[in-house]
Amino acid sequence: MSLCQNRLQEERKQWRRDHPFGFYARPMRNPQGVLDLKRWECGVPGKDKTLWEGGLFKLEVTFPDEYPTKPPKCKFVPPLFHPNVYPSGTVCLSILNEDEGWKPAITIKEILLGIQSLLDEPNPESPAQADAYNLFKKDRASYDRKIKHIVKENPAS
Amino acid sequence: MAATLGRDRYARQSLGSLHARVKESRVLMVGAGGIGCELLKNLVLTGFGEIHVVDLDTIDLSNLNRQFLFRHEHIKKSKALVAAESATKFNPNVQIHPHHANIRDPQFSLNWFKSFAIVFNALDNLDARRYVNRMCLAADVPLIESGTTGFNGQCQTECYDCTVKETPKTFPVCTIRSTPSQPIHCIVWAKSYLFTEIFGTSEDDAPELDHSEDADNAEEIAKLREESQALKRLRKSMGSEDFPRLVFKKVFKEDIERLRSMEDMWKARGPPEALDLDTITQQSLGTGPAIAQQDQVAWTLAENYAVFSDSMRRLGNRLEEARANADLGNAQPILTFDKDDEDTLDFVAAAANLRSTIFGIESRSKFDIKQMAGNIIPAIATTNAMTAGLCVLQAFKVLRGDLQKARMVFLTKSTERIISSETLRLPQPDCAVCGVAQASIQVDTSKATLNDLVEGALREQLGYGEEFSVSSDAGVLYDPELEDNLGKTFKDLGVAEGQFLVIVDDALENPRVNLVLAILAKELSDDAKAIILPEKIEIPLRPPTDLPTTINGANGEAVVGVAGKRKREADEADLEEEQTKKRGKVVEEPAAGLDDLVLVDDSATNGAILIDD
Repeated sequence: MSLCQNRLQEERKQWRRDHPFGFYARPMRNPQGVLDLKRWECGVPGKDKTLWEGGLFKLEVTFPDEYPTKPPKCKFVPPLFHPNVYPSGTVCLSILNEDEGWKPAITIKEILLGIQSLLDEPNPESPAQADAYNLFKKDRASYDRKIKHIVKENPAS
Repeated sequence: MAATLGRDRYARQSLGSLHARVKESRVLMVGAGGIGCELLKNLVLTGFGEIHVVDLDTIDLSNLNRQFLFRHEHIKKSKALVAAESATKFNPNVQIHPHHANIRDPQFSLNWFKSFAIVFNALDNLDARRYVNRMCLAADVPLIESGTTGFNGQCQTECYDCTVKETPKTFPVCTIRSTPSQPIHCIVWAKSYLFTEIFGTSEDDAPELDHSEDADNAEEIAKLREESQALKRLRKSMGSEDFPRLVFKKVFKEDIERLRSMEDMWKARGPPEALDLDTITQQSLGTGPAIAQQDQVAWTLAENYAVFSDSMRRLGNRLEEARANADLGNAQPILTFDKDDEDTLDFVAAAANLRSTIFGIESRSKFDIKQMAGNIIPAIATTNAMTAGLCVLQAFKVLRGDLQKARMVFLTKSTERIISSETLRLPQPDCAVCGVAQASIQVDTSKATLNDLVEGALREQLGYGEEFSVSSDAGVLYDPELEDNLGKTFKDLGVAEGQFLVIVDDALENPRVNLVLAILAKELSDDAKAIILPEKIEIPLRPPTDLPTTINGANGEAVVGVAGKRKREADEADLEEEQTKKRGKVVEEPAAGLDDLVLVDDSATNGAILIDD
């Protein structure tokens, strides 16, 4: 078994034993019912007492063969309106960047918690889509209204 | 007859009693490329009795400068077949059996691997190396691994997976799409993003987006999709006169202006400067497409534009033609980047340089860009030849059973010594490939269910507890939260002859090392069990992982392995000898026990579980 598979098994075990409330993370199944550990579907809830409270956002997390040397790719499905999310849905976050904050010790739990924090604390230094970024910078009231609308469209329950 | 005697004379003189064993040996060589050609020549001239050669590749013009068993007339023929044909002439006493096939094919079963005295890897990729390493560990056959890059070479007899391999450099999406700072960033953008978006399969084509749930914010989603698909829509105008101009305007002007509007991004770095099409068109009047042939100089902005439009026209025409000839109903034809395909290289070189200009990055020549975009690593015949020679010298030690003398050997150009060597390290206890217990099980794959394995074999016979998982190469079949596969047969789950299952023990206390089960498919009679375990499987406990790696020496004193370079201490050397003795035995009886490659922590033997059926 490769280092990558070994580590992903460990990640699944740790998640099974303990994971933060409101989140989910599970490997996808192939047609035979076998779990593909390199593709997970995950859900990240909005943090309480923020604009994003009450929402649940679906992500697809894909692990490369070189994981954990290299970080996984996290993609909102469907793409999310957020300054640090690319139009394709891919999340731009320092801990997911091999040249910046990624460390092989970072767990799936930490990644999802990091993405949860990013929702309400966008990083204007590295914008990934122009629409959300410009609205966030120039018209905060409309931005907030828009987020509330998106939360209503993606309810947690 | 005299010629035959003469042929053997020097080999016999230098090898002594070993010579007879060499002549009787049946060996496998995987890969018949750069190192493979040299190695096959060495094996044949040394007189190895039976040599099997496996390679799935065919001969290419660019191989001929160093893969000396091949000639111009062999281009497009099988490497394995031609190598065998050429090398047989060197020594008619040797039998060479070529296989033009993938080493992963089921015909190369575990039992087939077991039939060799030594396996030589002469491969060019990590994946196949790992596969052969795993098969050799499961089959209990010594593996001699080799590789070269430029002036560097190495030959090793250790488990290939005990050390972490450097992974090829990739770049984060933010750097490529928004904030490039080096020529390579723009080259990757041109090759992996722009080229595939226009001529290949767009990454947004993937049908995975499910929009059924978001009817209300459909407008917003539509807008996002529109942005990411603007390029795709431009593809519709491919073939028209205007096509290069439309793409140019989109990626070198509009996208750049949009990017620039995100002001915070440019506080710490210079903002990109969009290109003005009309000015550049003016400047490039009179610049013909012939400039593309000047591949050693960096082109000017106008020249890059000329090559960009011209290569787009060429590629567009090729794609149109392919589409016209394609069968209806089949997938749309696409183009893929190939460094040796002039049209694609011209496009990538020009597009990369145009983007570099925008971000104030220096331009590169087409020749430089070819090296960078094609990940070209120079291959040197001399390094291959030296490395192949070292492999045969290591093979002699293995055949003699003299494993304490076997070494990792490195070739480098930069140090005082061209050849340096290291003693072999012990198997790493946490290595996912050799730090495991191995066994083969007989399974009637259409009868046996996963439950027969989980309950019958693992829990009842081997004493596994509640928490463990079973995985195949495809993924996880069973774990405490995945029980609905239990009723399925091995066949339903796609587990067949030659595959491996891995059992990971998740017990909270004293978990055992991973157990790797090789599947031998067999029809078993109705009254027999559908899964038959071998008589004895030894599964040691897992060494503690939260402490520094500690290995108990034979005399009970601990030796602590320091991450990275390990100091060799007296008792470790003892243990090593112990270990090599064990391996030595295996070489004499290739079909011996299954457990000798697992480093059994001496103190753990008390806790090891022995099962007698």
